[in-house]
Amino acid sequence: MATEAQGEEGGLVFHPMDQFIVKPLFGDGPVGLFTITNVTLWMALTVIAVMALLVLGTAKRATIPGRMQSIGELAYGFIYKMVEDVAGKDAVGFFPYIMTLFMFIVFANFLGLLPMSFTTTSHFAVTVVLALLVFFTVTIVGFVKNGSAFLGLFWVKSAPLALRPVLAVIEIISYFVRPVSHSIRLAGNLMAGHAVIKVFAGFAAIALVSPLSVVAITAMYGLEVLVSFIQAYVFTILTCVYLKDALHPSH
Amino acid sequence: MTDPDESERLARLEDRIKALRQSKEPRHHSEEHYSQAQVGWRMVTELVAGLMIGFGMGYGLDVLFGTLPIFLVLFTMLGLVAGIKTMMRSARELQRQESAREGGGNDNDADAGGEKRTKDGD
Repeated sequence: MATEAQGEEGGLVFHPMDQFIVKPLFGDGPVGLFTITNVTLWMALTVIAVMALLVLGTAKRATIPGRMQSIGELAYGFIYKMVEDVAGKDAVGFFPYIMTLFMFIVFANFLGLLPMSFTTTSHFAVTVVLALLVFFTVTIVGFVKNGSAFLGLFWVKSAPLALRPVLAVIEIISYFVRPVSHSIRLAGNLMAGHAVIKVFAGFAAIALVSPLSVVAITAMYGLEVLVSFIQAYVFTILTCVYLKDALHPSH
Repeated sequence: MTDPDESERLARLEDRIKALRQSKEPRHHSEEHYSQAQVGWRMVTELVAGLMIGFGMGYGLDVLFGTLPIFLVLFTMLGLVAGIKTMMRSARELQRQESAREGGGNDNDADAGGEKRTKDGD
């Protein structure tokens, strides 16, 4: 992923994609299946941060919540209401899964905004796994709840018989569109934003433009803070929507 | 207990309190705008993903059977149609939310209209 683009000026060097390189933490060898890399480190930090908020923050079980506990309760209530509203009352059993998804993505995004950190959710490898988990969960739930009637989703009864196979192929493709767009959206947004910040930072090498570049970085950073939350929110709400489709395949 | 005039006033007060409370209640989750740009993004990625999946399927089948351009073209077109279909579906979802927020009742009409339109598009 390392790209090297030389600017017109001799000193101007951009490395916008270098922040996404996966390197081993200890020594440098090839990255194997079980190599501990910076991705591993930041994912572990994400999990620790989630634990710190939700387990340690609420450990006191105060009736009048402190700061940490309020945030934890707020997050809980927010996701619980989302699941109830969007996916329906009978989807509440999936609340732990959806809560985990949301907390993981939101913390991975925000930890990625720290300087010198690594954004795990900017890698397709990470988001594709998350999206595939959702995809398989939804598909399995659909089959378990509705049996083979779930396949009726792909066989359009209202169309003439000759057209149905073609429509079935189209329906199958559009079913597979969901995990693809689900993962591309999250990784694409984060990767693009972080790369743009790096490009602006590269321009700071010219003394004349550097104040402008600092302002631009600040603005982009503000936008990225927004994007971090919104993308996690969108990912979770779409998970709820897909779950609702699997529980009640009305289409 | 109290004279009828008093109880009537109490009832009116109760109604007013209820009305005020309802206006303050957090809105339904699916109605919340999470910025229009996100909606645009969602549709674009759906369209592109449909095309890409169609292309991939067609290319794979062609490599398998050794008939290079045929399935590629066919499935890319099918992928485009599938992408448009998914896009229309999310548009319809939004429209339903919109009409549910405004009118409350007639989301069935909106649904039927959208269905017909996608059928024509195919």
